[in-house]
Amino acid sequence: MHRLYLVPTLIINFVIVLVPALLTVVLAFCNWDGISTPTFSGLDNFRALLADSVFWSALTNNIIWTGIFLVVPIAMGLLAASMLLIVRRGSNFFQVVYFLPVVIATVITARVWQGMIYSPVTGVFGMLDRMGLPVANPLAQPSTALFGVATVDLWHWWGFLCVIFFAALRQVPQEQIEAARIEGASYGQMMRYVLLPAIRPTIMLMMIMTVIWSFLAFDFVYILTQGGPAFSSEVLSTLAYRHAFYDLNVGQAAAAALVISLFGLVGTFFYVRLQTQEGEQ
Amino acid sequence: MQRRTLLKTGLGLAALPLLPRLSFADDKKPVGFWYESASPENQDSLKTILIDPFNAAHPEDDLSIDFRGTDLDKQLRIAMLSGSGPDVVFTAGPSYVASMAQAGQLLPLDDYAAKLGWNDRLLPLFTELGKYEGKLYALAKTYETLGLFYNKTLFDKNSWKAPTTIAELEALADEMKAKGLVPFGAGNADWRPANEHHVSIVLNSVAGPENVYKALTGAIPWTDPSIQAAIDKLDEWWQKGYFGPNYFSLTLEQAFAQVATGQAGMAPSGTWSFTNVPTYFPPNNAEPAFVGFPSTSGPPVYALGIGSTLSVNAKSENPDGAAAVLDYIFSDTFYGAMNSAWQGEWNLPLKDLSGAKLSDKVLPLYTETMKNLSTAVGAGQYGYTTWTFLPPATDTYLVSGMEEVWLKKISSKDYLKKFDETFQQEKAAGKVPAVPKRA
Repeated sequence: MHRLYLVPTLIINFVIVLVPALLTVVLAFCNWDGISTPTFSGLDNFRALLADSVFWSALTNNIIWTGIFLVVPIAMGLLAASMLLIVRRGSNFFQVVYFLPVVIATVITARVWQGMIYSPVTGVFGMLDRMGLPVANPLAQPSTALFGVATVDLWHWWGFLCVIFFAALRQVPQEQIEAARIEGASYGQMMRYVLLPAIRPTIMLMMIMTVIWSFLAFDFVYILTQGGPAFSSEVLSTLAYRHAFYDLNVGQAAAAALVISLFGLVGTFFYVRLQTQEGEQ
Repeated sequence: MQRRTLLKTGLGLAALPLLPRLSFADDKKPVGFWYESASPENQDSLKTILIDPFNAAHPEDDLSIDFRGTDLDKQLRIAMLSGSGPDVVFTAGPSYVASMAQAGQLLPLDDYAAKLGWNDRLLPLFTELGKYEGKLYALAKTYETLGLFYNKTLFDKNSWKAPTTIAELEALADEMKAKGLVPFGAGNADWRPANEHHVSIVLNSVAGPENVYKALTGAIPWTDPSIQAAIDKLDEWWQKGYFGPNYFSLTLEQAFAQVATGQAGMAPSGTWSFTNVPTYFPPNNAEPAFVGFPSTSGPPVYALGIGSTLSVNAKSENPDGAAAVLDYIFSDTFYGAMNSAWQGEWNLPLKDLSGAKLSDKVLPLYTETMKNLSTAVGAGQYGYTTWTFLPPATDTYLVSGMEEVWLKKISSKDYLKKFDETFQQEKAAGKVPAVPKRA
C-alpha cells in the first residue's frame, strides 16, 4: 500500500521529465524547424554538429568553464568556511553576506555587472578609464569574454558553496578540532588532516554537481554576451538555444542537448555511486 | 467552512475563465490577438486607438489583446503547432511567415485582400512580400529602413556636409577620427544582431541591390566578387576604427546617445532610432538629421526591412473578425492616430499617406523621412535588409560570422563560403522568404 505514495512523483517524472527527454532523443534524429512536421534524418544532425567548428569551441569552453568552477569557487568556499569555523564572531553576518548574491535573480546580477562594473560608459571600468587607468571590458575581448562571464557567475555562486561547506564543517566533532589545536596543529595542518577528510563526501558531491551544472551553464552567458564576440564565449547550451530558436533547427539543437546530457549522465553515474558507497558505510 | 460550501466555491472559481465566453456566446465572437511586450503607455495606446474603437465599430466582434512579452515567437510556435493560438497572428518577420505558411498554419488572405481592397491600399511590394507560393499570407505591420543619423549642430560647427558618396563618407570619417571623435556611434552589447544593420548597409550600398537580389534568388552565389567587395569594405571600416573601441560594450541606445553628445559623429542605424531622438538630442542642445546611406552607384538605396507581420490563424474560429481587425489597422485613420502616439512600431505600408493626420508633436524629421521612404519604395529605389529577406540560419550565421571576420578569426572569403552553404541548404528546404522582383 505504501508504494502508492510513489505514484504522484512517478506521474510528474513521466510527464515532465521522461516524455520531453524521449522526445528530445527522437528529435535529435529528425529534421524539424519547430513549425512543420518532423522528418527522419538519421545521423545527419550529429554529423553536422561534429563538422561545425563552433560546436568544438563551445565544448572546449564548457570544459574550461568546468575546470574554473571545480577549482575557484570550491577553494574560495572552503577557505571562507574554515575561517568562519575558526573565527566564530560575526559568522552569521558573513554567512548572510556571502549567501546574498545567490538569492539575487540571475538577470539582475548580470545586468549589474554589465552596466555598473564592466561598462565603459556607466561602469567602474569606465570610471577607471577616465581616471587614466585603462581597463578593457573583458566581455568585449574574444580572449577574455568567457572569463568575464565566469567571474560574474563565480561571484554569484561561491557563497552557496561556502554556506554548504560551513554547515558540513560544523558537523566535524569538536573534540577532533580541539585535540588538533592542543597538539599545536597549524591552520594548514588542521585543514589537511582534520577538516578536509571529515567533509570529503560533501566536497565530492559538490564537485560532481559542479560538473553537471557546468555543462548546463546558460543564463549568464546568454545575458552577458549571447555567446560572442565571434562565438568566443559560446557554450553548448547557448549553441543549442541558437539552433532551436534562431536557426529554427530543432533537430540539431536536440543533438547538442544530447551531448550536454551525456556529460550530465557521467556526473550522475558518479553521484549515484558515491551515494551508494555512503549508504553502505 | 463546510465541505459543500468549499466545493461550491471551488467549482465557481474553476468556472471563472469560462465566463467571458459564456457571456458573449450569443452576440459577440471573440478575436484574440497576441502582442509582444509593450510599455504601459503603449498598451494604453493600443486600447484607446485599436481595441475600443474597433469593438465600437464591430458590435459582432470582441477584440482583446494579450501581451505575451519578448518570448512571443516561441509561445506562438508552440501554440500554432498544437492547433491553437490567437486569431490574429503577429510574427517577427517574413522568414517566420514562410515556415508557418509551409506548415499550413496561416490562412490565405487573397479573398479578403480582394474583398476589402487591400491591394489598392497597400504598397504592392509589401503584399508581394507577404506571399508564399503565390498566395498572400501576411501583411507587413511595420517597415523600416537604414540610413545615417548625424548631429547637425556638430556638422555645422565643423562646416561638414552630409556625405553623398562612399568616398565622401570615408573622408569625413577620417577627419572625425583625427579630431578624436568616433566616426560611427554603434554598439551591440544588448543586441548582438545589430551587426547585420551594418552588413545590410554595405550589401546595398557597396554591392548594390541588384546583386543582392540576384544572390537572394540564387542567380549568383553569396561568394560573388561584388558581395565580397562589400564585406571587405565593412571589414576595412572596422579595422580603421570607424566603429570605435567600445562596439561590443555599448548598447544600441548608449551608442546613439554618443551622437547626440558629440562623442560620435554619425550613426549608421535604422528608422527605429527615431524613438531615441527626443531623449538625447534636445538635452544636449543638438539638432538631429537623417539621410539615406551613400552608395557607390550614386543616390542612396533605402534597404527595406519588415519588423513584424500580421496574419490570420488557419484554425481561427472567427477568421472574418481577424480579417476585420487587419482591415481596421491598415487605414489612414489608424496610421495617423497610432503614429502620433507611438512612432517607429506602426509604420504601415500604406500606398498614400496624404490622408493620414499626424499630431503636431511628432518630430517633423520623422514624418519627412517616412514620406521620403514611401515615395522611394513606390519608385523602386529600395534594397534589402538581411533580417527580412534571409532565411533564419543564414541570418544568425551572418551576425556572429561577421564578428569573426572583424576579429580576424576567419577571412571574408571563408565567411562568405559558409554563408553561401547555409543559404543554399535553406533555399533547398524552401525556407527563403518571398523576394519581390526588381522594379
